Amino acid sequence: MEQPAPAKFELLVRGEDEEDFKLREVPSVVGYINSRPHRVDPESYEVSELRSRLAGPPGFILKNRKTDRFLLLSAQERFLWDKMDGVTSLQDIATAYVLEYGEFDFDIIPNLLRKLQRAQLLTFEPRSRLRKALARNRDRIVVKAIELVLTGLERIRIASRNVHPFFQRLYRYGGFALFTPAAVVACIGLALLGVGAAIGLFRGTRDVLEGFGGHALMALLTVKLLFFASVALHQFVHGLACIHYRRRVREFGFTFLHGFVPTFYVDVTDIFMVGRRARVVTAVTGTLVHLILGAVAFMVAVMSPVGSFTQAFAAASGIIQWQALVIALYPFCFIEMDGYHVLVDVLGVPTLKHDALAYVRGLLTGTGYGRFGREEALWLGYVVLSTISVAAFIAFNVWIIATATS
Amino acid sequence: MSASRETFAFLRDVRVFEAFSDPDLAAMVDRLRERELRRRQILFREGDAGDEMFIVRRGTILISKAVTGKVEQVLVRVEAADFFGEMSLFDGSPRSATAQAETDVELLVLDRESLRAMTDATPRAAAAFFYAMVQVFMERLRRSTQQVAEATRWGLEATGLDVESR
Repeated sequence: MEQPAPAKFELLVRGEDEEDFKLREVPSVVGYINSRPHRVDPESYEVSELRSRLAGPPGFILKNRKTDRFLLLSAQERFLWDKMDGVTSLQDIATAYVLEYGEFDFDIIPNLLRKLQRAQLLTFEPRSRLRKALARNRDRIVVKAIELVLTGLERIRIASRNVHPFFQRLYRYGGFALFTPAAVVACIGLALLGVGAAIGLFRGTRDVLEGFGGHALMALLTVKLLFFASVALHQFVHGLACIHYRRRVREFGFTFLHGFVPTFYVDVTDIFMVGRRARVVTAVTGTLVHLILGAVAFMVAVMSPVGSFTQAFAAASGIIQWQALVIALYPFCFIEMDGYHVLVDVLGVPTLKHDALAYVRGLLTGTGYGRFGREEALWLGYVVLSTISVAAFIAFNVWIIATATS
Repeated sequence: MSASRETFAFLRDVRVFEAFSDPDLAAMVDRLRERELRRRQILFREGDAGDEMFIVRRGTILISKAVTGKVEQVLVRVEAADFFGEMSLFDGSPRSATAQAETDVELLVLDRESLRAMTDATPRAAAAFFYAMVQVFMERLRRSTQQVAEATRWGLEATGLDVESR
């Protein structure tokens, strides 16, 4: 029998003005992937390990103390159970699972959810903490405005799921050249030339930025907009890498990340079906777009007349491209970009940021625990490094803008 | 064509008046009031008192029911030649849902007094009216049942709740 399309609700959401409203269609799949399963409170269950005398991973017995029901969990299911904290969405849990085990069984999460629901060990938290906090303070005009903007932006999503043939053609008609030794050599060569050009320009930063004349801020904003186009290119290369490893590109589109960061995106989750090397290459090659564009921009700047607008524009473009490279590859900045995913993949700690923030929050509020081992050192190191890095990044940008506008 | 001739021609396409003879329909034209709504204007809210039903002559009316806070579920869109609000006309109960113009709308209004006048003056037309009304009610009941099933399916799909093996 043919599976029916996901059920949809058409909802009318009233605005501030009584007659004002917006219509939203909410398919059930959105509810599902955004739902946040929440295991019952710790007093209501207990877990014990079940070691086998034969070879093989241990199993676990999960007991509901209130109903005296017992469940047998595999190690993978135990991993998922630990993630069901009411904060992590099903989508994030699935990602964590793939990073932990390097594979994904599409049935394991729904099957486990069913088991846990039958044993009355689970509830669902459907909304994000940010949105809950905003809703609580809705009477403040600023909060209300933020909530309205976020809601509006969240709805913007332009995407196509039929992009795999396009990426295949792109790969066949030239994209494959990016994954050859010659391309690696060219990339290194360009990067070295770019570094040389950047060092040369850095010595005369004031002369270079004088080329903006009285329109420095406007020019910098234009550079930022041009940079936005390179983000699309970045995503294209991720897609090509996915094709290179003979996996499927599932979707390409535009959306607002976290409700407020405009970005292009490509869904290459199929790459998790192959090895770590493929995942690392896919993550890194996309970011190299910024390395190459930045290097080219710096070389153009070096070759342009000193103090000309072209030189200033190219130099600013180069700075922004290389900033993007650093942000994308540098894992310690609280943003889960390509570098972060490579790091957690290599370390085997898929929820590093989440755990690290929870640990430090516990330390600051006095609700943490006293033990300090390797794991705690990693968490603390992540938060300290990220804080310093974000501060340095902001300081660098303030300095650039101040130099350009003074 | 005069306004009443236009209304007469329009009512021919309205299901509850389909079986009316020409003189009965002409009498009905005189009993209906016209009302206009601008886009987004609220006609009535859930819980309001009311004793009128409305026939959409032009535009679209959204019928919605409060779910939580400022969120309402859209139950149905009422298009031209369809009607709504008849429940309060018959039993005088408060409005069970909110009606709001999605576009600029022209309505024809039938109040309880006019309905009673029609029943007294033209019982044959009134019988045809009520018979057609019952047919529409049954269709709407089937649609409501379907909506309940769809809402249940939404809940099951959104939570992944397994009931088959329970």
